[in-house]
Amino acid sequence: MTRKQQRTWFLVGGVGVLALATVLILGALGDSLVYFYSPTELTEKAIDPGAQIRVGGLVEEGSVEKGEGLDVSFVVTDLNESVTVNYNGLLPDLFREGQGVVAEGSFLTDGQFHATKVLAKHDEKYMPKEVADALKEQGKWKADETLIDDSVKKYGIDDSGTNKGYGE
Amino acid sequence: MQLDERIDRLTMQRYANPKAFIAIADRVIPWLKVLTGLAFVGGLYLALFQAPADYQQSETVRIMFVHVPTATMSMMVFAIMTTSSIVALIWGHRVADLFARASAPIGAAFTFIALFSGSFWGRPMWGTWWEWGDARLVSELILLFIYFGYMGIWQTIDDPIKAAKAARITAIVGAVNLPIIKFSVDWWNTLHQPASLVRMDGPAIHESLLWPLFAMWAAFGLFYVTMALIGTKIEILRFQSRARAMRQTEGV
Amino acid sequence: MARPLTSLIKRDVRLAVRQGGSVVQSVLFFLMIGMIVPFGVGADADKLADIAPGIIMVAALLALLLTLDRLFQADFEDGSIDGLITLGPLLELTVLAKGVAHWLGTGLPLVLAAPVMALLLNLPLDAYPVMVLTIILATIGLSFIGMIGAALTVGIRRGGLLLSLLVIPLYVPIIIFGSAAIAVAGTGSPDLPASLGLLALIALGSLVLSPFAAAAALRLNAA
Repeated sequence: MTRKQQRTWFLVGGVGVLALATVLILGALGDSLVYFYSPTELTEKAIDPGAQIRVGGLVEEGSVEKGEGLDVSFVVTDLNESVTVNYNGLLPDLFREGQGVVAEGSFLTDGQFHATKVLAKHDEKYMPKEVADALKEQGKWKADETLIDDSVKKYGIDDSGTNKGYGE
Repeated sequence: MQLDERIDRLTMQRYANPKAFIAIADRVIPWLKVLTGLAFVGGLYLALFQAPADYQQSETVRIMFVHVPTATMSMMVFAIMTTSSIVALIWGHRVADLFARASAPIGAAFTFIALFSGSFWGRPMWGTWWEWGDARLVSELILLFIYFGYMGIWQTIDDPIKAAKAARITAIVGAVNLPIIKFSVDWWNTLHQPASLVRMDGPAIHESLLWPLFAMWAAFGLFYVTMALIGTKIEILRFQSRARAMRQTEGV
Repeated sequence: MARPLTSLIKRDVRLAVRQGGSVVQSVLFFLMIGMIVPFGVGADADKLADIAPGIIMVAALLALLLTLDRLFQADFEDGSIDGLITLGPLLELTVLAKGVAHWLGTGLPLVLAAPVMALLLNLPLDAYPVMVLTIILATIGLSFIGMIGAALTVGIRRGGLLLSLLVIPLYVPIIIFGSAAIAVAGTGSPDLPASLGLLALIALGSLVLSPFAAAAALRLNAA
């Protein structure tokens, strides 16, 4: 075997082993490495009070309550579970009911989530207002699906093109 | 003149003819300049005056027309540099090395503009200039530093032939970051939204916003091609004079 | 084919241990960062414990980075690199052996010193086992990714700075997942296997692929 052939075989073997390891490890990980948790994941995982985490989901319609000064509380939901968030500070422009949001902070001992930072998360859709309104009128409007829990997505939305889900 | 030709043959022997490259470049560059100018005028007109405001973001959405083209071009340019480097590695094509070299600063500039415009877009929309926890943001920042490393190789190594070979390896190794940037929004749940254009069920951008975006894309793309051709031409001339100087001091 | 490689590893490790005490120096450098941080941020025990994972990872990165320029330097200066390229086993394997020797000579001592470092920074005791595992995986990645940079810059005057510029961006994932793993160690967090898994993947990937890139770089620098 010439050196070149030897090298090629080593490269092929190495890449093969690596590909196998990648598939095994990534397969075992699933989607466990996250920037934020959904409310459903939080209820399953039982996070310690005081641990810094991020929770992401949709702001539930009608849940935003303004208190004194900059105090605000709202409910973050993935349509399966929800978390009540308390926050004192300025909200970003895109913070709206029915829209995506990521809150950073920790659970207090009473089970309330106290946010130190609230960020808006928008989906990948861009369109003029008239088009969005028309879609809503026809009942074809869909909320940010990445923020909705899988168990709800299966039978709640996406089915026969009509939206029984969020945002109508 | 005769000596020059012999040296050219020594340094660029059996590689694609750099003279032919320069001749072609000289012919197309003026046209490309005009086209780039027109594309920017047209694209900016569409983006600033024709495109409607977004239903959520209203006027702020116009940042997209700079952010999205520069961000995709930042990755595209590195992919082109890597391809160029592989071509140079396999066929010893010297012009491909120099094309990659000329591309690097343009790609770095696109990366910087994408990060900068993204930051200014994120502040009003998301409520933050920068998020260290977001995989898309961080991997794009790493791309900027990989560009700097690539440019550093060319700058630091004196022998242009060695520099070219080292730069090829750097580009190929640095390319591991490209799939990480592209798929970061799918692998992790990031603050950054997923892809709007390359999706299973078609683009999620309404036509009225899509065409101005395409126009700006064309403008930045043409800008890159024009600048890369001009840059490669300069690099070829510089490479030749440098190789000549080195050969003379070594007494060949 | 295996014998020349093991003797090469033995020779390199012996050189690293004896030559100018470079092993001791890099371990001392590593520990000194742990000593100097409390002066900068204050000696508050809780605060130190909070930042300990990040500081340990960054200190390991810096300590290892400073030894990289020596990886091929001696072979390059005395010309033995030409022998390694033309004679002996396949250069990729030789380079792999040199990487293993580098890890044994610098990574492993850092692993052994890491518990002391953790003590200086008040890391919770139940995080120690995970921390040691993390440092093992991380230093493998640091050594082998760094090897590419070392091979690229071996013949360059003042190449050390360029070497750092080239490899630090590639080190970022190691720092992210390493710090994350140590930070959640002992809390029973579900993130731990993910961070360690990705860290192992990076270590394995660099172990397999970087010998090819580093060998290619050495060939061009020796030519």
